[in-house]
Amino acid sequence: MATPQKLSPVERIKLSSDALRGSLKESLTDEITGSLREDDQSLIKFHGLYQQDDRDRREERAEKKLEWLYSYMIRLRLPGGLITPEQWTGIHHIAGEHSTGTIKITTRQTIQLHGIVKTHIKPTIKAFNTIHLDSIAACGDVNRNVTCSSHPSVSALHEEVFGYAAKISEMALPKTKAYYEIWLDEEQLLNKEEEKDPLYEDRYLPRKFKIGIAIPPDNDVDAFGNDIGMIAVIENGELKGFNIAAGGGLSTTHGNPQTYARLASMLGFVDTEEKVLKAIYEIMTIQRDFGNRSDRKLARLKYTIDRIGVEAFKVELEKRCGFSLEPARPYTFEFRGDHFGWSENHVGKWYYTIFTENGLIKDDEKIALKTALFEIAATGKAHFRFTCNQNLVLSDIDANDKDIVNELLVKFGIDQHTELASQVRRNAIACVAFPTCPLALAEAQRYLPSLISKIEPLLAKHNIDNEEMHLRMTGCPNGCGRSHLSEIGLVGTAYGKYNLHIGGDRVGERLNIRYKENLDEQGILDHLDQLFEMYAAGKNAGEGIGDFAIRNQLVQL
Amino acid sequence: MLPGSKLKTLQELIDGSTRDELIWMNGYISGLVTPLKDFNGNGQNGHSTIVKKISIVFGTETGNSKKLATELAALAKQKGINVKCTGVDQYRLSDLDKEEFFFVVISTHGEGEPPGPAKKFYDAVMARTTTLPHLRFAVLALGDTSYPLYCKTGEDIDGHFIKLGAKQLLPLHKCDVDFEKPAKVWFDKVLSITEKGESASKLAGNVQAVAPKGEKKIYNGIILTHLNLNDRGSEKVTWHIEIGAEEPVNYEHGDAIAIIPHNRKEVIDRIITLTGIDESKVVESGKHKETVRVLLTERLNICYLLSSAIKKYAVITQQEIPDTRMDLIDLLRIYPVKNPEQFEEVIKVLPVIAPRLYSVSSSPLVNPNEVHLTVSRHAYLKQEEKHVGLCSTFLGDLSVNSAISFYVHRNRSFKLPADDKNVIMIGPGTGIAPFRSFLAERDARGATGQNWFFFGEQHFASDFLYQSEMQMFYQTGVLNKIHLAFSRDQQEKIYVQHRMIEQGKELFEWLQGGAYVYISGTKDPMSKDVEKAWLDIIVHHGKKTPEEANAYWESIKKEGRYHKDVY
Ligand code: SRM
Ligand SMILES: Cc1cc2nc3c(=O)[nH]c(=O)nc-3n(C[C@H](O)[C@H](O)[C@H](O)COP(=O)(O)OP(=O)(O)OC[C@H]3O[C@@H](n4cnc5c(N)ncnc54)[C@H](O)[C@@H]3O)c2cc1C
Ligand SMILES: Cc1cc2nc3c(=O)[nH]c(=O)nc-3n(C[C@H](O)[C@H](O)[C@H](O)COP(=O)(O)O)c2cc1C
Ligand code: SF4
Repeated sequence: MATPQKLSPVERIKLSSDALRGSLKESLTDEITGSLREDDQSLIKFHGLYQQDDRDRREERAEKKLEWLYSYMIRLRLPGGLITPEQWTGIHHIAGEHSTGTIKITTRQTIQLHGIVKTHIKPTIKAFNTIHLDSIAACGDVNRNVTCSSHPSVSALHEEVFGYAAKISEMALPKTKAYYEIWLDEEQLLNKEEEKDPLYEDRYLPRKFKIGIAIPPDNDVDAFGNDIGMIAVIENGELKGFNIAAGGGLSTTHGNPQTYARLASMLGFVDTEEKVLKAIYEIMTIQRDFGNRSDRKLARLKYTIDRIGVEAFKVELEKRCGFSLEPARPYTFEFRGDHFGWSENHVGKWYYTIFTENGLIKDDEKIALKTALFEIAATGKAHFRFTCNQNLVLSDIDANDKDIVNELLVKFGIDQHTELASQVRRNAIACVAFPTCPLALAEAQRYLPSLISKIEPLLAKHNIDNEEMHLRMTGCPNGCGRSHLSEIGLVGTAYGKYNLHIGGDRVGERLNIRYKENLDEQGILDHLDQLFEMYAAGKNAGEGIGDFAIRNQLVQL
Repeated sequence: MLPGSKLKTLQELIDGSTRDELIWMNGYISGLVTPLKDFNGNGQNGHSTIVKKISIVFGTETGNSKKLATELAALAKQKGINVKCTGVDQYRLSDLDKEEFFFVVISTHGEGEPPGPAKKFYDAVMARTTTLPHLRFAVLALGDTSYPLYCKTGEDIDGHFIKLGAKQLLPLHKCDVDFEKPAKVWFDKVLSITEKGESASKLAGNVQAVAPKGEKKIYNGIILTHLNLNDRGSEKVTWHIEIGAEEPVNYEHGDAIAIIPHNRKEVIDRIITLTGIDESKVVESGKHKETVRVLLTERLNICYLLSSAIKKYAVITQQEIPDTRMDLIDLLRIYPVKNPEQFEEVIKVLPVIAPRLYSVSSSPLVNPNEVHLTVSRHAYLKQEEKHVGLCSTFLGDLSVNSAISFYVHRNRSFKLPADDKNVIMIGPGTGIAPFRSFLAERDARGATGQNWFFFGEQHFASDFLYQSEMQMFYQTGVLNKIHLAFSRDQQEKIYVQHRMIEQGKELFEWLQGGAYVYISGTKDPMSKDVEKAWLDIIVHHGKKTPEEANAYWESIKKEGRYHKDVY
């Protein structure tokens, strides 16, 4: 029942791309432009890069008879978001040499470098390769970076669960050797059989595909926002298996009623590793075969599932798996934020979660974060883990190395910076948006910090400044900062204008609802002031502002 | 009418010939077939001229002198005279002693210097001491009255021949940039001499007085567009300037626009206070009669005075001043004038401000009433200190709607070949200017020949001049190949000549295939390095010895397939 309509252009590009090679090699040698040939702009995403341009500079450059200021963003594939100190040092240098220098921690536990010019793409990828990092399938119509609850101290079994992220990522890697040929100058494949791809075939998926693994009681990965959300089921100290939910997706398009944000539907429980991997694999093959390939706006798994129906989908899945899913096991999510500051895990390893506002790592007038991390990495005492809240965990530190790391945290004022930051600021997320994101309608990461500085006094005024509160801003309704899954969401509609969403819960099990439209800054502050006032006056003990909004029907479900 | 075989040979001959050769042949042939055509009053026909053999030599930089020399040669041929016409760079100096009727057409360049190719000849003539008793000569000097040393080269040669006892057939004849008419007058005199013999030179001499003085067409334009092409973060500043005129500007691709800059107001103010002269006083200096303020601002050169001017200053102010060059303001500080009157005397002898040339970067086919310039801010060091050029800064400081006057400097030796010929253009930096014009021209003409462009600058992101236009030319197939050298985007410096070497094999194939080569931009070191690169390429890919390569390169030049517009 694959849709009969004609294929979207991107489908043709994929099919005729000779396993994602396209004319990328030629595009790289076009000296006259910093951009890629049109089709290659779609293909390069599968290699983990996006062609972008500095949108602040378009008019001025055009007047000077110069093309747009093109550059590339590279996104690493880091299942579970863990790297060694040596790798961090490497990234630090690569960022300095080939990109803007700023390292961006994303909402899917990996990092991005921006502003890489065309001639620097290969050197960048080669440099990453020497420290055993790649960007394969970090973007494109394939499985993206697999996320996993980041904080090892949440469970003694973190290690074991964490292992699944890498296994799934491996299983879902495209088989094409294009990446090695184009970027690492490896020999051309003679026997194309070697890259035959039973999962993706030559059409790949209809759309991006995301998998996140949550370890209760934490849901920092926002499991239900993923195409596949996995919830580790741990009973009396043992990993029994996973509850598997499918069909999550948080993006909408202004003015397109057919699009909607959706939480993943619980399909059921699966035990053994083999069966878990099989189930994941087959969910992807169903999406491959049934997903909408004519309208990319309706191509995500969430639409496929709603079109087929959850039950029918489950039947098809069990048919393909050759086993049936058990009813989902009970679990409870209690927390979605990051565990800032020091904490110890069950075997006495230490962890320090650093607040890195919107995941931006650079030195600025306030704090020399980048230098600090560079020096910490140099000690070799701490691993680096990235969180889905765009923060960073210095991890797996031996008890007797803790002081060394702590000294540096103090020396650079990282401890203060982290521990004195307000609740609302520490839990906030903002997407990239301007100037690099081509889809941005409004500012996000460049603007949210200053907006929060204006929100903090309001919270203080109603003295609710110690309440846990999740505020998220995105520059457009694609929701890269998962703004639709927050207690307070600000979704860009036009430059300087945002829709205000409220009513999401604290742990990511309920989407928020649009409350006001096209607010400018003053409008946002006025409405938040009112909300805070009502909330401060009427909240029950421990009640989040989202739950409060629903209970008092400030927005209708 | 011609039988195929003949037609074919003729066609081949024509194909293998340059424009100038064709002009010559045209004259030659008509000379052969129509001896009676220029039958003149005296009942003599072309073949009965008294003078049977003449030599015409030309010294040219931008082709004007050559054009005139070949025109004169063609006319003389028509009269059946045996004419030897060569460039002075090809001329064997020992032949001077054998010459009888010797006509020189030569221009002046630089600051009163001979054209590049004529330097050897000029120096040899000026250095010569052995007399030339048999030589009978006349000099047509091309120049530009806007320059302080008008027609200096012609003057020198004329003067020195006289010194060496040669016989001056006609008084030195000077032409300004619009030289067609005055040149014709001179031609007629030369021809009448060939008919009537030297006797004619007398009356011809007298006619001199009434010879029309070359007046050049000055256009008054206003700035339509004025922007810096370099992006933020660039170390360069390159202005794209579009000048509109109320009438069509008579120019062609490859020509240059001459601009006379104004001196900086601050400097003039300082000079006026320093000397205490009344700025509103009207003074006559050379051909200008205006107030002191206007003279100093718009007419007279006060920058980096030539030592000749400084000598005059020394005389007027009765001071010992070493033979050097400096700005008037420094001169006034170090060797003050006694009083305003004395400074007025100085003003009277100050040379005029020399025009600066800028290659047009537009095509008249596309912009008939406009000329576009591509001007880079000229910077130089003076006592370790960074200074900026007068005219480039003057142009850079203009803004939309400012008025500006200019005139056209024709460059006949920098023109596109026939539409079906292939063209290789090498123009880093502002060298891109004439090629922007070439490409627009070829586009408008729908020329079928292929176009290959080499461009270079410092940084791809900020200094790719006219990038979007070049991309358009490339996408629409007007520009077939383009190679870029951005010197500072990587460790090692990469320049156009390196890109050329990389493309050597194909470049040589193009040469072999009859492609025309054009170089524009700075003379040093660019144009020299590029020429070296060409020789390397010919040696390497043409499997030739350096000597053979040189010979090959010379032949390319002879065929008129190599053109330079460097500065
Ligand atoms: C970097 C990141 C935001 C951040 O500040 O961290 C991001 C940045 C971009 N996202 Fe995203 N997305 C990011 C997480 C998300 C999430 C959140 C999540 O996955 O948990 C979502 C919502 C969940 C979902 O997928 O439904 C998300 C939904 C989108 C969409 C909408 C997809 C859809 O179903 O319609 C687009 C647009 C598209 O794909 O057409 C998009 C596209 C983009 C692009 C690549 C814009 C583009 O297509 O050219 C943005 C690059 C901006 C830049 O200059 O860096 N991004 N994007 C996140 C990188 C995650 C990663 O490491 O892989
Ligand atoms: C055929 C031709 C085409 C050209 N086309 C272009 C073009 O398309 N674009 C372009 O940008 N340029 C072009 N030029 C160059 C242009 O004509 C000027 O030479 C250039 O702009 C510098 O002029 P200026 O008045 O700014 O500098 P100037 O003030 O004339 O200075 C020029 C040089 O004189 C010397 N000098 C001047 N004053 C002093 C002083 N006080 N003390 C010591 N030394 C001094 C310095 O060496 C300096 O480098 C072309 C030139 C020619 C001949
Ligand atoms: C860079 C440059 C410098 C010049 N300097 C002088 C000069 O000092 N005196 C002068 O009389 N003419 C000068 N001229 C004007 C030329 O002599 C005039 O344009 C002449 O027509 C050029 O003839 P050609 O094409 O045979 O070289 C100069 C022209 C150029 C391009
Ligand atoms: S949410 Fe929109 S603006 Fe923000 S990064 Fe994603 S696509 Fe860009």
